[in-house]
Amino acid sequence: MALRVSIGQYYTANSPLHRVDPRAKLVATIAFMVSCLMVQSPATLAVALIAVGAVAAASRVPAGRLLAQVRPLAIFLAVTSLINLFFIQTGNIVATLGPIALHAGGVEAAVLYTVRFFLLLVAGSLLMLTTTPVGLTDALAWLLGPLERLGVSAGETALIISIALGLVPALSQEARDIVAAQTARGADLEGKGPIAYARACAPLLVPLFTSALRHAENLGRAMEARCYTGPAGRTHYHELRFVVRRDAPFALLAAAYLVTLAALFALGI
Amino acid sequence: MDMQTDTAQTAPRPAIALRNVCFSYPGAPAPEEGTACVGNCAEALAGVTLTIAPGEHVCVLGANGSGKSTLIQLINGLLTPTEGTVEVLGQPVTNAHDAAAVRRRCAMVFQRPEDQMVTSIVADDVAFGPENLGVPAAEIADRVDRALAAVRMSAYAQADPTDLSGGQRQRVAIAGALAMEPEILLLDEPGAFLDDAGKQDVRRIIEDLRGQGITIVHVTHDMEDALAADRVVVLDRGLIARNGTPAEVFAEGGTLRHLGLELPFAAALAEELGRRSPVFAGLPHTADTEELARAVAERMHASPRQNAAPEQPGASPRNSAPATAGSPAAGSNATDAAAVRLSHVSFSYAADRPTRRRRGLIRRRDAAQAELPLALSDVSFAVPTGSLTALIGRTGAGKSTTVELVCALKYPLTGSVAVGGIDTADRARRRLLRAQIGYASQFPARQLFAETVFDDVAFGPRNLGLTEDEVRARVHDALALVGLEPAPALLARSPFTLSGGQQRSVALAGVLALKTPVLVLDEPMAGLDPRGQARMRVLIERLRAHGTTLLMVTHNMDDVAELADRVVVLEGGRVVANGTPREVFSSGAAPGTPAALALSRTLAAHGVRLPEYPLTGTDLARALIEEMDRGTSR
Repeated sequence: MALRVSIGQYYTANSPLHRVDPRAKLVATIAFMVSCLMVQSPATLAVALIAVGAVAAASRVPAGRLLAQVRPLAIFLAVTSLINLFFIQTGNIVATLGPIALHAGGVEAAVLYTVRFFLLLVAGSLLMLTTTPVGLTDALAWLLGPLERLGVSAGETALIISIALGLVPALSQEARDIVAAQTARGADLEGKGPIAYARACAPLLVPLFTSALRHAENLGRAMEARCYTGPAGRTHYHELRFVVRRDAPFALLAAAYLVTLAALFALGI
Repeated sequence: MDMQTDTAQTAPRPAIALRNVCFSYPGAPAPEEGTACVGNCAEALAGVTLTIAPGEHVCVLGANGSGKSTLIQLINGLLTPTEGTVEVLGQPVTNAHDAAAVRRRCAMVFQRPEDQMVTSIVADDVAFGPENLGVPAAEIADRVDRALAAVRMSAYAQADPTDLSGGQRQRVAIAGALAMEPEILLLDEPGAFLDDAGKQDVRRIIEDLRGQGITIVHVTHDMEDALAADRVVVLDRGLIARNGTPAEVFAEGGTLRHLGLELPFAAALAEELGRRSPVFAGLPHTADTEELARAVAERMHASPRQNAAPEQPGASPRNSAPATAGSPAAGSNATDAAAVRLSHVSFSYAADRPTRRRRGLIRRRDAAQAELPLALSDVSFAVPTGSLTALIGRTGAGKSTTVELVCALKYPLTGSVAVGGIDTADRARRRLLRAQIGYASQFPARQLFAETVFDDVAFGPRNLGLTEDEVRARVHDALALVGLEPAPALLARSPFTLSGGQQRSVALAGVLALKTPVLVLDEPMAGLDPRGQARMRVLIERLRAHGTTLLMVTHNMDDVAELADRVVVLEGGRVVANGTPREVFSSGAAPGTPAALALSRTLAAHGVRLPEYPLTGTDLARALIEEMDRGTSR
């Protein structure tokens, strides 16, 4: 029972992309993800591919590491592309395999939607790989800032997300230990009906829940000891600063990409 | 410190002053001794008066439940006293507001590093404290660099704490405290769950910090920590029982054991020698091994014979008996005498498959195996039936992986693991295999889940398909074995309402109730106070008397010397030594040295050569007395 955790896997490097203001990266990534809706033709797909390729190259993250982030969703991608391929019945028939006919529309949709979704994942992974968790939470806090007026504490929310992510490795290790201990006592989770299965899970879930509470309590005490009293009055190690020389090129390139894509989309190319 | 020099030369303002402090947890059950206090243990204080001077290094000792953790949490206002006053750096700590102010100047490090990390980058975590203090960004960067340099972790500034060893993580936690530039540093058993190297690292940092005039209050069970302190305070049931320099306190000898303390090795040996032979009466009750060795050597040389003795047979440790590396069942020719046998086992986490898959799938991956990072490679050893075999090695050497393979929780990439003659990869006999081997994890109490003690202990036996009568008998036997009275009142209680020590015992009973012929003990002593450790030793001896084969993972070389029949040393996923404790320790392959062996070597340097280097304190005392008798009878 290996709980593989690949959330917020920061890749340490000193690339131009690593140095860009996390807020700029976060906003650009969200904008890119939204802009994917406009990617509906070979031309726009090519533009999006070039953009993501260029950013990936600038990130200096090894391709293998980047693809490893996407791998968990590879089966999902494959299944959706196959469904598109076989079930979209528009356009000319390109090929026939016995009773199944592949239509041009199906091929196009299979390629387009798959690549589009793939680009979306890569963009998200690039953000995670090149931005420290602290940078990400600070950027998120800034983005959520306007919500403060609605009574949502953005800084606290961001910190809670960061801490929750930090606890995942400790808890997954503990889950492994508990599974080991209970399996050695003969707990068997295989081949059972839903009620029997739920009952068999109690030996795992009760201890796991107890440890989550214990961790939370210990961490709370440790944070109190380190003078955490809420986001008010805190300073930031990595102050978010928009440095024109460093961040403006990134922002301009991102804007140029969006304009190009929008223009192509509007012209129907 | 500089501001008070002119006003109060005679009595400088204390860094910490507790006056008649009482504390009790509302509705808390009576304190229990013997376990690691993780979380809030019910430790009350019953009137403690204590002053600590600026720059002083004080170690607080005492059994679990004596009030140590409560004391240290009162100092930085995580708790407030129910009676009496706490004054820190001249500031009384009575309410939450004062406490927050005190914490800005008084940093604290806890037992478990993983519960102290707030982010997944080392430098960012160290910055968390200064950020909360409102330090400007440029200065934070400076402080982070200095704090990481102070704990020698600069190279890991951008690392993820989960990739670090326990010792390294604890160093990061200390850096996080130092970055707040505290005047007082409070340490709550920072070494409790670290291996020897990790403990040594923490000690070195404390030593460095003392030079900088920072006040340190250090709660510990480790006598070696206490010896390095300026002052030792011993708590017993919420009261100060002893308060003095380490030399003064440890000079007292055996009576300290009543306070739940273990004597430092040298002091315990001096006492035992004095008790057993008049020649050694009145040896200095010192904790300093060098000093004791000198004193023992003087007495030995004063006896008539010593000068004629240097060419004794076997005067050096038996290097001739090579510790055989990697050969299965070293020293045992009866092949079926092994309860557990690993043959040429390799394992890689990269190729780990869910445990339910069949072997065929794993086999097919053999071709790719050469490129996989191996957690274990070509590991072969046997655990003889009825023996206690210790599995030792540094953090990351592959001990946990080996244990998981032996317990059939993982399956080898190549090679085979057999328990009681059953291959762990044999699915058809899995149930039979589970009845062969039990596993007691490092924190057994964490496996508790049932609504009553009875149901929890009965979980394993019921899974074996026993009748209710047999189950009841097993539950009673197992509880008796761990020293709990199986009274109906206890059996019907929820295990979560028990004290930490009782929870641990109940959980162990849950493992023992399986009555497996083989039992794996993962770090059975870690985090236990001396009383808890003594209880664990009794349990281990009882299990041996029952003929249970034991495989024990441990970091403690003295436990190995005292308890083990055989030792397997892992390093970098390979077996580097496999033999009797004597063979392994004299080969130098072990990651540490038992205290008795270290002292024997010091004695040898002072000219006292023993026929065979003893590995335990009892053996060393006996050898010294025999040597002395032989000398005087000549």
